[in-house]
Amino acid sequence: MQIVIIGSGVAGVSFAEKYRLLSPNDEITLVTRERDGYYSRPLLSRGFTMADIEHTIILKPFDKLRDSNINVLCGVDVTAINRTDKSIAIHADGQDIALHYDKLILAQGSSAFIPPPFRPYEKLFFCLNSLVDLKTLRQFRQGFLNQNQRPSWAIVGGGLIGCEVASDLAVAGDNVTLFHATDRLMERQLVSEDSDLLQKVLQDSGVKVLLNQAVTEFIKEDGKVCVKTDAKSEFDGLLVACGFKPRTGLAESAGLETGRGIKVNQQLQTSDESIYALGDVAELPDGKLYAFILPIRNQALWLAEFLAGQKQDDWKPPAFNPKAKVHGFEAAHPYNV
Amino acid sequence: MHHHKQYQCSVCGHIYDEAEGDPDTGIAPGTLWEDIPDDWRCPECGAEKSAYNLLA
Repeated sequence: MQIVIIGSGVAGVSFAEKYRLLSPNDEITLVTRERDGYYSRPLLSRGFTMADIEHTIILKPFDKLRDSNINVLCGVDVTAINRTDKSIAIHADGQDIALHYDKLILAQGSSAFIPPPFRPYEKLFFCLNSLVDLKTLRQFRQGFLNQNQRPSWAIVGGGLIGCEVASDLAVAGDNVTLFHATDRLMERQLVSEDSDLLQKVLQDSGVKVLLNQAVTEFIKEDGKVCVKTDAKSEFDGLLVACGFKPRTGLAESAGLETGRGIKVNQQLQTSDESIYALGDVAELPDGKLYAFILPIRNQALWLAEFLAGQKQDDWKPPAFNPKAKVHGFEAAHPYNV
Repeated sequence: MHHHKQYQCSVCGHIYDEAEGDPDTGIAPGTLWEDIPDDWRCPECGAEKSAYNLLA
């Protein structure tokens, strides 16, 4: 049997390794647009304070997966899923190739969500959603450090990622202003008492926190970028952190059922019986998507066992307690997940 | 005085720092790696203790 996995995040890699152990005779091919290896997505939020991050973040070079008899095609874009002849079309090194599958696992994760009003300004801001993004940000920042300057940052979005990055940049010594649309930080995950505490921790580390901010426009002026609300303020760097968007495009084009994510049943199977979805992209029947590491890894291991014939029951979400990586912040109450 | 070490989870990148421990999972600050029970799991991804490597 030929198993093809799209995506090399924790979902795709955990599945590949577990399935490899359980089914030594099947062929496993993992296709990914990444080139740097399997890296830790949570550590992206420590990208400015952690020593040697560009190496520490790589948990496994792709060659190590190849040593375990998992084919890895990296730096590759998947352009289509052809369900009739069970193949995916990939584009690599200027060539189009069709790759057959018996079972296809979709684990492409998510990209940064850019609110529609910000889309015309995409050249003016950064996002932090991948190692490539982090390297771009670090390089931009290094340009200032090389001249003995500290960049001033605007971070738009006070959700989990926005708060984590604001914290890390501030602790690294930069000037950070955090714009948030509602009246408290991380309002979807935290009770209001913990939002207040988080705000205080961020302020103590030097972050300027601005709540109830309707950001309407970004403007480029004399090498600076301006954030326009009722007022206008200028910064060196601008980062938009407004949540994530599951990568459902391929599945949609192939005619699979999608909603916010790719719709799956309780066995993580999509509307095509040969195709499964895992991680950030998978939308369970109750409408939930699981974006934290622990349940995603749990899905991946479960699916490997299920497809290897070792599990028959439905996948059930495990108990988990996520935690924002904000320096010095410990919530007093469990997160709402 | 023991020099505190750091260990990294090879599944998710979580770092266990002996100086900080992991109070959420009942591991007090200063707990040495070898004193953590074998059934302890990565607080971030659930991987087993054996999935950790010493961070150089």
